[in-house]
Amino acid sequence: MKTIPHSIPIILLLVGGILMTAIYSRGVVSSYSSTTIPNNEVLKDTPFDKMMQVLTHERCINCHPNDNIPKQGKDSHPHYFGMKRGEDNLGFTATQCTTCHQPENNDYSGVPGAPHWSLAPKSMGWQGLDKYEIAKAMLDRAKNGNRSHDELVHHLTEDSLVLWAFDPGVDHEGIPRETPPISEAEYKAAVIAWFENGAIIPKE
Amino acid sequence: MKISFSVNEVPHSIEIKDENTPLLWVIRDMLHLKGTKYGCGKAACGACTLHVDGEAVRSCSYAVKFAEGKKIRTIEGLGTKENPHPVQQAWIEEIVPQCGYCQPGFMMATAALIDKIPEPTDDDIDRNIINVCRCATYYRMRKAIHRAAQIQRTTSKTME
Amino acid sequence: MAKEKKKVSRRKFLIRGGLGTLGVLAIGTYVFRNTIRRQIAGMVDTAEAPYLGNTDSPLIWFEITKDNKVILYSPKVEMGQGIFTGLAQVAADELAISMDQIKVAHAPSASGNLDDFATGGSTSMSSLWQPLRELAATMREMIKAEAAQKLGVSVGSLSVKDGIISGGDKTITYAEAATNVVDWDIPDTPTLKDIKDYQFIGKPFSRVDLRDKVFGTPLFGMDATMPDMLYGAVVRPTVIGATYIDADTSKAENMPGVVKIVKEADFVGVVANSMLEAENAKNAIVVTWDIPKVWQTQDIEAMIEVGKGKPYVIQKEGSPKELLKEDEKLIVSEFKSPIGAHAQLEPNGALAFVEEDRATVMMSTQVVKITRNEIAKRLELDEEQVNIVPTFLGGGFGRRLHTPNGIQAAVLSRAVGKPVKCFLTRKEEFQNDTFRPPTHHVLKAKLNGKGLIEAIEHNVSSGDVAWGSPMLPSILETIMGADLGAWRGGMIQYGAIPNYRAISWRVKLPFATSWWRSLGLLANTFAIESFMDELAVKAGKDPVQFRLDQIQDDNRGYRLKEVIKAAADKAGWTNQIVAGRAMGFAASTDVNTPCAQVAEVSIVDDEIKVHKVTCAMDPGLVVNPDQVKAQCEGAIIMGMSASLFERMYVADGQLQPTIYGPYEMALMKHAPKEIDVVLLQNAEAPGGVGEPPLGPIGAAIANAVFRLTGQRLREMPLKLA
Repeated sequence: MKTIPHSIPIILLLVGGILMTAIYSRGVVSSYSSTTIPNNEVLKDTPFDKMMQVLTHERCINCHPNDNIPKQGKDSHPHYFGMKRGEDNLGFTATQCTTCHQPENNDYSGVPGAPHWSLAPKSMGWQGLDKYEIAKAMLDRAKNGNRSHDELVHHLTEDSLVLWAFDPGVDHEGIPRETPPISEAEYKAAVIAWFENGAIIPKE
Repeated sequence: MKISFSVNEVPHSIEIKDENTPLLWVIRDMLHLKGTKYGCGKAACGACTLHVDGEAVRSCSYAVKFAEGKKIRTIEGLGTKENPHPVQQAWIEEIVPQCGYCQPGFMMATAALIDKIPEPTDDDIDRNIINVCRCATYYRMRKAIHRAAQIQRTTSKTME
Repeated sequence: MAKEKKKVSRRKFLIRGGLGTLGVLAIGTYVFRNTIRRQIAGMVDTAEAPYLGNTDSPLIWFEITKDNKVILYSPKVEMGQGIFTGLAQVAADELAISMDQIKVAHAPSASGNLDDFATGGSTSMSSLWQPLRELAATMREMIKAEAAQKLGVSVGSLSVKDGIISGGDKTITYAEAATNVVDWDIPDTPTLKDIKDYQFIGKPFSRVDLRDKVFGTPLFGMDATMPDMLYGAVVRPTVIGATYIDADTSKAENMPGVVKIVKEADFVGVVANSMLEAENAKNAIVVTWDIPKVWQTQDIEAMIEVGKGKPYVIQKEGSPKELLKEDEKLIVSEFKSPIGAHAQLEPNGALAFVEEDRATVMMSTQVVKITRNEIAKRLELDEEQVNIVPTFLGGGFGRRLHTPNGIQAAVLSRAVGKPVKCFLTRKEEFQNDTFRPPTHHVLKAKLNGKGLIEAIEHNVSSGDVAWGSPMLPSILETIMGADLGAWRGGMIQYGAIPNYRAISWRVKLPFATSWWRSLGLLANTFAIESFMDELAVKAGKDPVQFRLDQIQDDNRGYRLKEVIKAAADKAGWTNQIVAGRAMGFAASTDVNTPCAQVAEVSIVDDEIKVHKVTCAMDPGLVVNPDQVKAQCEGAIIMGMSASLFERMYVADGQLQPTIYGPYEMALMKHAPKEIDVVLLQNAEAPGGVGEPPLGPIGAAIANAVFRLTGQRLREMPLKLA
């Protein structure tokens, strides 16, 4: 006899579920190319690397696609039901991001939410880029919404949609979404430190 | 917590303990308007679609606290049997519903669509109407959406 | 006011054959069961469905209201199939009232108007066609007899129209005639009108429930309310085969809004002041389950394999076994279909109010009588003390043939002495469904020198569909062995082939499998008709002509040929690729209704795109052509959804996924922009409609994909390599 506590997430089931999803939703998986950067390099402790552990995480990348399709989940599958960027990054004309996503996570529905829920503009498509390319794109005023370093720091450390990554709520089964590997405080400190040190992109 | 909003132009002030209660349950079980349906509770099927300040919203995923001061419209406020909304008129003409359970959600989504796109193309319909109908009435629904848009265009012209 | 007790009945009844007859036949001939099995299989496949309810008195079927309208109390439930509209047309014609004068409502079980079978199997109209007309005609004559008395004229001098009876220079309405009648005299069944004289039957009337459904009127089980109603929630297993042992409810007890925790021997539930509070408390209950085995998809797939389990020959002609020996001429193909979920939009549930000596349960159910009896048994009440008030169904599709949710709501209500409404969540729906079983098919054939089939064999391995259902006598299972739901559509319909057989391999799966709109028809037709296409290609023949050439010359064969020709003609059938689009053809015969479909398909962005489907179907006499077309349109898209997208899988004991989206289904964007339905009527009575058009679509699409790409897709959901 085994005991399974009802409604308490079981890590094994979770992992199993994700694996099985990957195996059995071929139709979905085959329609896009894998975008997550294999994280097989030795993790360094510099502010740049710490910051990038967050910015390359699927919590961030899923809404910085290199196409017009928002991604979902750990496997970054295309958003269900064919939702796309739309003309202003807010979804389609009548069925928008905010048809389902509100200014906060909804723990009853498992739908994530944060203020101004939307896709990052196309110029900020980071999906498929490595951390150095992301950094370059991020500093490029032609791509970053014409933001200065100060404005970037503000965006990266104060914007509630960006910081949603650290409080991503639960999914449709009530299972907490994975957060980036470091804490919000560590991340903020790393961002501030990197910009204070001149926002220098290390050599690859 | 006290939350005030209007539903179908009737003002309501409700007292609720859990301000995160989905609007769906407030509408159905506190205000007794049963036309807005529970299908999945996960904003996946669209059966609970209603309008908040004119925008289509899936009410199972909309905390009631966000409704403060808002104007909500449900299927019961879309039109009446005597004076049907263009969407309802079109749904009647095309005899769309089968089981009917998902239809209010589709009609509310359609009403929002033709308000924003008065002459939707098939692509507009495919992109914006993404609710789920298990009886699979999509074939007639598409015809009814085009027809609803046409009725609404004609009506608004007459009114001008 | 016309619902009074009858006094005498001189009525004579036509004895109709039916499943009861099959049972008797089966008992007597158990020793010859191989032959008998094939005979029964043939009968079930071709026989008209009998109506298995009470047709003794029109008084439990009709009520005449003061405003001179008639309410028809239907023992069949409205789940979208449009049966209320069809029954209204049939009854109004014999009642001699206008369509505006008839209303249709569900018969509560306490009315005694109960169906011993179910609403399902595409039998509602075909089974009620004769008895309902007889009941309506009898009711009309009963009213006329009362009118004659009140007017003081002879019955023979009366004429009726639009619910008004005229005799000599006097008129009287049905309502007036029925006023104060206590003892109705029920005459022998009058002669029915000639079909050509019917005013409503055969016409495309709009749905009688249309306006209610368009204006959001509360109609469904989930919309039901009672004064002082509370809300319930039941902890349901998430893992296959899990049995409830015990529960720790300590945390839930103190949650807001909780009225009572209800612990039973087989489940634990909670009653609270709101739906949300009940759900929240439920989620705080920790249940101990007994889980004998943690299942995976590969375990299930290994079970569903032709050659495993027990084989039952359900159809045999000539010497197929001898002819299909392995040599270079033998053509063998395999096909597969996945586990399918019902995914109907209204979850299962019920609103129950149990008082000391009676219970009232409002709910969506396809089996009113069985639901009533099961609840009565659990509550230890007499069956008559339980009143099931059926509501409109937010989708049926076979999901509501199994209704433990009614019992659970009733048990919760009894525990608090108040009405309790208790529904499944969507996740619970997906994990506690009674699924369409997965299938594996092996087909073998040999062609002769003329490029026709010399011998063919269809093997299907499937989980159970019909067996275990309280709707069918268990003796049938003993005799038949093979599951009659699993092989639906699995027989060879090309009777001019000299040697053929069909074999059903029965597998008992560890999770509930049951009826899913059309049962085995979709998967069996996908396999057989894909194989027919393959054989036509091998024979170098046009797939349409290849089929026509191998159909026998009898009535069934004639009707099948006619739908095949009609579909091909209407679609402008071609074997060529035109402007990037190819056509695929398939045909099936289900519940005596032949159906042929042509799918026009292209490949857009590496995905299969269905542009147009042409459907020709012969359900016999068509009561409402618009609603029969609606059934075809819906069945085609639902079948397309199952063929192209849907699939449940098993991961670490759990059936997954648990939500729309991950359980991929056809949406608006996938629906064909053109669906062309042609209805033939080469039978005198109405046949089945709701399921037959689901048969051909999977194979029609797959065959078109082969023409376009050369890929023979052998597994549903169909995905390009």
